[in-house]
Amino acid sequence: MRSTPTLAGALVALLALGVVPARAGHRPNNEVLVGGAISLTGQYAEPAGRQVNSIRLWVDDVNARGGLLGHRIALRLLDDKSDIQTSIKLYEKLITEDKVDVLLAPYSSGITEAVANVTERYKMPIVAYGASASPIWEKGRRYIFNIVAVAETFQKGAVHLARQIGVTKLAVIGQDSLFPRQAGKGAKDWAQRLGIDVVLEENYPTKQTDFTALLQKIQASGAEAVISNSYFADAAAQLRQMRELGLNFKLYSSTVGPALPNFAEQLGATAEYVLGFSLWEPLPGVLGYPGMKEYIERYEKRYGEKPNYHAGGAYGALQVTEAALKHVGSFDSEKLRDALATIEVQTVFGRYKVDAKGMNSHEGLTFQILRGQRRVVWPEKWAETKAELPIPEWSRR
Amino acid sequence: MTRGEHLRNLALLGTSAIALAILPHALSVYLRSFALFTMMYVVLALAWNIVSGFTGYTSFGHVAFYGIGAYASAILTADYGWHWLPTLGVGAVLAAAVGAVIGYPVLRLKGPYFAIAMLGTAEGTRVIATVWDSLTHGGLGISFPSAENSLETYDAMLTLMLVTIVVAHVVGHSRFGISLNAIREDEVAAEALGINATLYKLAAFVLSAVFPAVAGGIQAYKVLYIDPPSVFFVQITIAMALMAMLGGKGTVIGPILGAVLLYTAQELTWVNFPTAHLIAYGLFIVLVARFMPRGLVGFAIDRGWVRKGMVH
Amino acid sequence: MERSEVRSLYLLAVFLACAYTVPFLVGAWAGTVRFDERWLGNLATVVVAGVMQGGVYAMFALGLTLIFGVMRIINAAHGEMVMMGAYLTWVCFFYLGVDPLLSMVLTLPVAFLFGVAVQKLLLNAVVGQPELTALLITFDLGLTMIYTAELIFTTDFRAIPYAPGTVHLTRTIAVGQNKVISFVLAVVISTAVYLFLKLSRLGKAVRATALNAEVAMVCGVDVRRIYLITTGFGAALAAAGGALVSIQFGFNPETGVVYTLQAFAIIVLGGRGNYMGALIGGLMLAVLENLVSLMVPNGTAVVELAAYGLMIFVLLIRPGGLMGVKEG
Repeated sequence: MRSTPTLAGALVALLALGVVPARAGHRPNNEVLVGGAISLTGQYAEPAGRQVNSIRLWVDDVNARGGLLGHRIALRLLDDKSDIQTSIKLYEKLITEDKVDVLLAPYSSGITEAVANVTERYKMPIVAYGASASPIWEKGRRYIFNIVAVAETFQKGAVHLARQIGVTKLAVIGQDSLFPRQAGKGAKDWAQRLGIDVVLEENYPTKQTDFTALLQKIQASGAEAVISNSYFADAAAQLRQMRELGLNFKLYSSTVGPALPNFAEQLGATAEYVLGFSLWEPLPGVLGYPGMKEYIERYEKRYGEKPNYHAGGAYGALQVTEAALKHVGSFDSEKLRDALATIEVQTVFGRYKVDAKGMNSHEGLTFQILRGQRRVVWPEKWAETKAELPIPEWSRR
Repeated sequence: MTRGEHLRNLALLGTSAIALAILPHALSVYLRSFALFTMMYVVLALAWNIVSGFTGYTSFGHVAFYGIGAYASAILTADYGWHWLPTLGVGAVLAAAVGAVIGYPVLRLKGPYFAIAMLGTAEGTRVIATVWDSLTHGGLGISFPSAENSLETYDAMLTLMLVTIVVAHVVGHSRFGISLNAIREDEVAAEALGINATLYKLAAFVLSAVFPAVAGGIQAYKVLYIDPPSVFFVQITIAMALMAMLGGKGTVIGPILGAVLLYTAQELTWVNFPTAHLIAYGLFIVLVARFMPRGLVGFAIDRGWVRKGMVH
Repeated sequence: MERSEVRSLYLLAVFLACAYTVPFLVGAWAGTVRFDERWLGNLATVVVAGVMQGGVYAMFALGLTLIFGVMRIINAAHGEMVMMGAYLTWVCFFYLGVDPLLSMVLTLPVAFLFGVAVQKLLLNAVVGQPELTALLITFDLGLTMIYTAELIFTTDFRAIPYAPGTVHLTRTIAVGQNKVISFVLAVVISTAVYLFLKLSRLGKAVRATALNAEVAMVCGVDVRRIYLITTGFGAALAAAGGALVSIQFGFNPETGVVYTLQAFAIIVLGGRGNYMGALIGGLMLAVLENLVSLMVPNGTAVVELAAYGLMIFVLLIRPGGLMGVKEG
């Protein structure tokens, strides 16, 4: 064939072409590169977006104070589109090509788990603020740390409240992915400990929007309350469809959805009485962590809304990173890792002190949406008001 | 093909092989990954071509085998502690078995119905992988134990690619391959000539299932994490089909060319235009399907640049 | 009907009967089935919901079957056209404040023109060619539509809150108001299209082209124009389906993929090119899906499998579907 020699040449040339886009991370002006891939688009964009807000705020705060160890921070945030494979590729690129000095964590337990493999391989420490699934820390990893509480505790308050109103049969449903499943596991454990019978347990595909049959199934099972380990879209769909079908439950608790500010807005009256979980609330009077008030003010001034727990967690994690860097005095990965494993820091988000596995012990709060506002109802030491349960029937609202 | 041409091809293949084997040591990890995935797509495109290009039964669901290979490798390595290499063999055998079982009924369908049925099969496999979570961990995905493996996987993929090229070439030039072409052109006539169409189609189908499975296994180990949506990704099927079509269905060089060109183009646009690249990609494939159904090689043949033969 | 025809029809009927009993059997084995009044009420609700949804499915399957009947083209982007309809409705609702049902007056013509454009630019050239080429092109078109939607609207789910009330058909059977409204509209639109095809001059021209394009041409029908109109109609029907879907469920750029699959399954089951078949197929599929979801453990995840399984088996047993459409 006459074309084959040219073909071989073309092949090699093409592979060489690939060398061209390889940009080495340069450091003009004594800057330090802080980078990560987070969900700027995709199903996690809402919660991740608030973390991005905190990240940007932190970068500006630190730069105003003279930078990280005297170096100005250059921020590089890439979009993982809420997709695991994209995230892995981006982190590999950030670490090997762009040579970032400090890594930022992604959002969601699934993505964090996949990225943890990458950071472990390249021995770069990272403090996670978007992951709550304990399996990530059960694998003997040394380079990943957590600041937020684990998924298993998310529904603890809801289950306790269910017990308080005398619920004996519970349905636990959730999206079929890492975090919701861990939350479900935790809910089940608590139910068993409190003597509640879990009569239905089912996972649904992440993109599910039609819950008619599932809701019927729940009703058929005799469940009096529903624990739904869901995000925004699915929780919203479930509530709407419960209303349309006239299905009444004594208690409904979701994990992530209700904590997002526009949940109550978008659903209006349908969101009333829904329970949600929050790792943190912007209530300095209630929680009293150092620097909370100032952080909330600055955030609100810049973004026009109070920070929620996603934002708070990200800021707290970055405070920890900064403290660890100060402690070490350089950007050496190994020393940074050791510092992160041992130091104790009081952040706007709460206390950071990890155990041998790298997990923090953090307590969150359960809230209920009452008259369009999130009010803390559990644990009692932080409760603003008593929970209004059981939920009144749709027809009587 | 004359003897001289055969020898020339062999020499070419040999030198490319050596060059590619030395290459990774000179490249950064990122580029090594890039090269690995390019080779993977060559494998996929060639394998797809064996059934869809040669036989004319266009499969929209070959990603099912890729997924099966990935999961076989993941489950055995992560849950049962096997060493990674033998899991590839298991994946291959499993894919062949599934291919035989599914192929037999499905190959009775014609043209677009076969394509749609295969699409259904791929999606069905994905749903099974998601639901059968005692085996596959469902939506949680499977994480491999951490390992620095960019060189190992590169070599494995290189070997796989060379094997696939040789097999595709051999099949294409054998009696078997010519019979497949006959089936594509006119199945009824082929049967009348004494070709056992059912057997040959099935053989081609099973053969085409094996290579994606091994590729899937290698890729899973490379990335160290899989879950049903990432592995049974419909884009992979499209990429396979597109690369083979772009290069030229029914030829051997075609899929190789198509895979290299398309994957490189895709990566370059992704790196430089993260948001818009998908649309450009989408438009591109629509245009290719519309205006160049016979691919680059077909185009070249029409122009007389390449001598026309049944297969190159 | 010849012997083999009759045989395959019986075989299909038996298969369908089995398909419908499987969820019950699985449910009985798994303990999710109980024969008390309350559970039967749940069952009835689910079946009714299935019928309502089926009406909407049937409507956009009608669009698909129309395109196939006339041009032998399988539109793999049909689900994306439904998705497009949903987004157009959403845009009208959010930015223009128009009632989603009323906005169909705007969105349907837009979809129609889109269909015409697609036909003119992409599909006219491949009408006579093997069906596979068109399948590939429309498949890729669908993908491009998804990417474009993702760029413009991001992958966030949207929903249009509309008619949230409940309709109580009996003491135990409740249906969402928006479902009933959608069903009624779907029936109205489908009937209108059906009557149009049967009675109007243009409709007859379309049917003539479907039967035999060459003869139609000889009789003075402008076949090229009919093609444009057919795809336009198909797209409009899909968009109408999208509008009705938007008031019931959340949607994002990728929801169309499932609808394409369901539409395929419906026309395969009902018989491609056959309008009555689309209706029956739509109802049957939706009800089966809901039964599976209710009674099979983890049924919600397996529902897609039901559609695929149904389609593949029908293709193998009786490719002509219930109505027995012949090849050619």
